[in-house]
Amino acid sequence: MSSCENPNVDKDALMPRRQKFDGKTKICVRCKENTGNVVIRYSVYCKTCFFPLVQTRFRKSLEPSINATPDGPRKKALKAVGSLVIGLSGGTCSTAMLDLVAKSYFAPKNEPTGKLKGGKDHPRNSDKGVWKGKAGISYVEVCGAFPGEKDRTEDIRAVVESYSNSNFEFLPLRLEDSFDSNWWKSVGGDLSTSAQSLARLDLHLVNSSSESSPLQALRTYLSSLPTQTAFYSAVQMLVRLLLLHTSASRDASHLLLGTSLTSLSVNLISGIAQGSGYQVTEEGKEEWNPRPEHGMPLRIVRPLRDVGMKECTIWDWWCKLKIVGEPRSLYSGGKNAIGALTRDFIFGLESDYPATVSTVARTCAKLTPKEGSDEICALCERPAQHGVQAWKSRISIRSYQEVSSAVSGNTRPPHLTEEEITNLTKSSLDITPTSDHPFSLTPLLCYACHTLLTSRSSRGLAASLPQGQSTGDVPLPLWVRSSADMAISAHSHESVPLAVKMSRREMEKEISEFLLSDE
Amino acid sequence: MSTISLRIEFGGGLELLFDNKRSYRIDVPSLVPKDNSTDAENLSTKETKPVDVDYLIHHMRDNMLKERVELFMEKDTVRPGILVLINDTDWELEGEGEYRLKDGDEVVFISTLHGG
Ligand SMILES: [Zn+2]
Ligand SMILES: [Zn+2]
Repeated sequence: MSSCENPNVDKDALMPRRQKFDGKTKICVRCKENTGNVVIRYSVYCKTCFFPLVQTRFRKSLEPSINATPDGPRKKALKAVGSLVIGLSGGTCSTAMLDLVAKSYFAPKNEPTGKLKGGKDHPRNSDKGVWKGKAGISYVEVCGAFPGEKDRTEDIRAVVESYSNSNFEFLPLRLEDSFDSNWWKSVGGDLSTSAQSLARLDLHLVNSSSESSPLQALRTYLSSLPTQTAFYSAVQMLVRLLLLHTSASRDASHLLLGTSLTSLSVNLISGIAQGSGYQVTEEGKEEWNPRPEHGMPLRIVRPLRDVGMKECTIWDWWCKLKIVGEPRSLYSGGKNAIGALTRDFIFGLESDYPATVSTVARTCAKLTPKEGSDEICALCERPAQHGVQAWKSRISIRSYQEVSSAVSGNTRPPHLTEEEITNLTKSSLDITPTSDHPFSLTPLLCYACHTLLTSRSSRGLAASLPQGQSTGDVPLPLWVRSSADMAISAHSHESVPLAVKMSRREMEKEISEFLLSDE
Repeated sequence: MSTISLRIEFGGGLELLFDNKRSYRIDVPSLVPKDNSTDAENLSTKETKPVDVDYLIHHMRDNMLKERVELFMEKDTVRPGILVLINDTDWELEGEGEYRLKDGDEVVFISTLHGG
């Protein structure tokens, strides 16, 4: 699999699996004294040196982003403007991250020896903590999306409580909270009277009187998604937004995610494959602005972004940390989703050619979008590119009739009616939302989210979803509804071109230089 | 036939493939077929070698694994993403599959596939 040559040409041309350890010396490269215990990217470390190595990489990734303004030449004390929230899934990396945060910044002040470990200037020894208030440790239970899966909230609570640290506060969330107005209110969100608006899959917003439980709403939303890839991406996105809004409600300045170097590379590659290339730099370094008056700018930091999965695993094992999260990836739920396929590829790569994985992450860190952005996507709340739908209508065939007449035996996507498909491709240039032409969600979405909601697949959706879902109204996460409310009320003051559909002739003109002449 | 005794441990969720037991004590022959086949019957007709980790992996697949071989093995060795420690040391420092097992050795298999 991990080969750079064309295997069809010559079997011997396969790139040899590089020896991870040349066998020259087993002595630790750091202390140059002890026999090594572990090989990390071709270097040998002993057990004693392993812990400071990982901790140093962790702090180097985190600390430059703690103070509101980056450090000048003189190192200032670490002081965040807000509180801290830590995302904990119970998996290998976030478990290691929580341990590193606890040991680096929240360790009990009085060591048994009475001596301050790390000296009096060490951040955990300063009188007041680095962050304000208590650190929230937030877990999002996703079993609502995976029927039959165990609820692990109490297992995770036990992990948090094992630190018996009075500065830690466990914040359990559930995926279905995204659809629960009680949660939305609890994080300070508001909904206007049109708040009951739901979107149908033609992406037109409609008002719905139907009330369903948050869990039902979650399942309807997920089962409306056109592909397995979209399903898994949507779950990830809900987790992320739940953490963001929860952090904002606690006046957090930092949200820490346990994304390792390895998983960062997976996210980057699979993100690009799913159309979020525009947001690629966001995976590495990210700032999110809550709604006005609802918190402060939040830095989303991945302090393990320079630490590989292997180091996290060994940290957990040597520190005897319990891994209680759902081992979904081990059983590769949704193994044909782009995310899982990318993960298998990157893991194979990391195992055979460890250095390549960090190259993926570093290369992506250098990418910048060509144009700036001042728009935020209503669904993922990440920067959105201008004019996505105009661009998309130029480069893709969105009319189903054309496709279906060309491809025999293909059936209409099950969740869309012919009318909905027509609406999907219809011009909405000149419309003001009316009952005939409801407001469309499309202009509020980034390219990746638009693709997530609309791209069709030849294969059906994951079989684990409840059958017989109605193809009618699809509930939306509450932050989307609130953004839509704002956009609709803004729209009533000015007329915004919502989407541009090109005529065939315009389309032909656009691509004319690429067309072959008829002769 | 002489045997050696080993302690096998699982971490990172890998125990789920092995009857959800984290720790095993097992005996393996000290001489094993070079081709790592685990049916002891025709051992006498085969070329042998002192037992190594490669053989152990095949032994675990044939005698201990409860489900989903592909989550444990790939191409005659452990699947990428599974970390092996021999007596608390990365097996990469010990010759990987060629490490010659000794009586009382502790071999740990940890899945790094657990993510997040
Ligand atoms: Zn050392
Ligand atoms: Zn988006």
